[in-house]
Amino acid sequence: MKKILIVSLLFLFTFSFSGCEKDDICDANTPTTPRLVIAFYDINNPAVLKNVTNLKVIGDGKTEGIVFNSATDDSKYLTNGSTISIPLKTDVNTTKYSFILNSGNANSTLTDVDEVTFNYTREDVFVSRACGFKVLFSFDPSNPLVHTAVPATKLKWMQYISVEKSNIANENETHIKIFF
Amino acid sequence: MKHTLKYFFSIWLLMSLFLAQAQDTIPTKTSPQRTKIEGEIPEAPKQASAKPLASAKTDTIIPVKKDRYGLRVGVDLYKLTRGLYDSNYKGIELVGDYRLTRKYFLAAELGSEDKTTEDDRLNTTTKGTYIKAGFDYNAYENWLDMENIISIGLRGGFSTFSQRLNSYKTYNAYPYWGEMPWKPSGAEFSGLTASWLEVVAGVKVKVINNIFVGFSLRMNVLITDKKPSDNFENLYIPGFNRTYAGNFGAGFNYTVTYFVPLYKKTVKPKK
Repeated sequence: MKKILIVSLLFLFTFSFSGCEKDDICDANTPTTPRLVIAFYDINNPAVLKNVTNLKVIGDGKTEGIVFNSATDDSKYLTNGSTISIPLKTDVNTTKYSFILNSGNANSTLTDVDEVTFNYTREDVFVSRACGFKVLFSFDPSNPLVHTAVPATKLKWMQYISVEKSNIANENETHIKIFF
Repeated sequence: MKHTLKYFFSIWLLMSLFLAQAQDTIPTKTSPQRTKIEGEIPEAPKQASAKPLASAKTDTIIPVKKDRYGLRVGVDLYKLTRGLYDSNYKGIELVGDYRLTRKYFLAAELGSEDKTTEDDRLNTTTKGTYIKAGFDYNAYENWLDMENIISIGLRGGFSTFSQRLNSYKTYNAYPYWGEMPWKPSGAEFSGLTASWLEVVAGVKVKVINNIFVGFSLRMNVLITDKKPSDNFENLYIPGFNRTYAGNFGAGFNYTVTYFVPLYKKTVKPKK
């Protein structure tokens, strides 16, 4: 009987340590730093979403675009949908992106490039032990974005950009509407 | 994490059942002998002349059993020695208990901790003191003059502490712009408090004279927890230890205690 006691106590002791193992991994479903959600609308029918054609989005200073799908070749950088989500820089208050429409088109005159610089402020918000902090953004109220065509003499393919949500706190809503 | 905890709890519960059963069977071993003796003692004077056999039997009893009552004080060796090899930890815990009745002990722990916790994305330092008070129930039936204890007990715990966020990392599921380095913070949150309940399973064994060694396992349930701010939470509470997503926690200690005997009491035979 005494032996059983000792054995069971030893078990208790060892299991007490199994509770101390590092098992905290940030769950992918936890809302952390949100991306900027952009939706594309038809300028002629502003209530209707419009699909882009082979849109490529490249961050300023980057050579590779944002990956939009799981393709293995360069088409993974292209999207033909009506909404995109792009990450903002979490260490500075501006992020500049090039939006290239009809990217890779054989006829280069059909390729349009617009640059948009987003201006915002950042706030670090605690999430959990596993996830640490997340960064939330608020658009600069006086100057949320700067929009130019490349080259500047060309017409901008985005005809109107509307800031729908000034606070970027999650990815469940559209923050920016682009009409073209 | 939740799964590990769940298993931990269930195994712990299972083991505690096991413990209870094991203790039940100890008295039954000795019970035939005992019931004989106990049954005869009160009847002895009445039937002394009629049945001399009975008095002959009573002679075989071991001399009257006396229990020692007193105060046991000591220290948690785990907390004390951890500072030697873990540069992120400094702590001490004083433990004590006072024998109230044959089975019940008043018990308390008093401690102080200074711990830096390094998580994957957070580095925090928690400093504070705590007190735990409650009782232990000794479920172990000692033979002869043994004074060992296998106990189950309950404590109420209270801690006042401060927490400092040393540095942190922001989580970005889409590191297109690269992974961000640690950010220093230094934000200090003081005047924090927490209270909790603890279920304690423990063992104390007398090694020499009045020196006991023991260890205990504790399952904690947080009752109140004053959060540092809306933008942070307590990741470690002195005495309670690491906090989990739920209100549960766990701990243990490894003690050396000295028993100060105060008085003796004769053990009354059970009827």
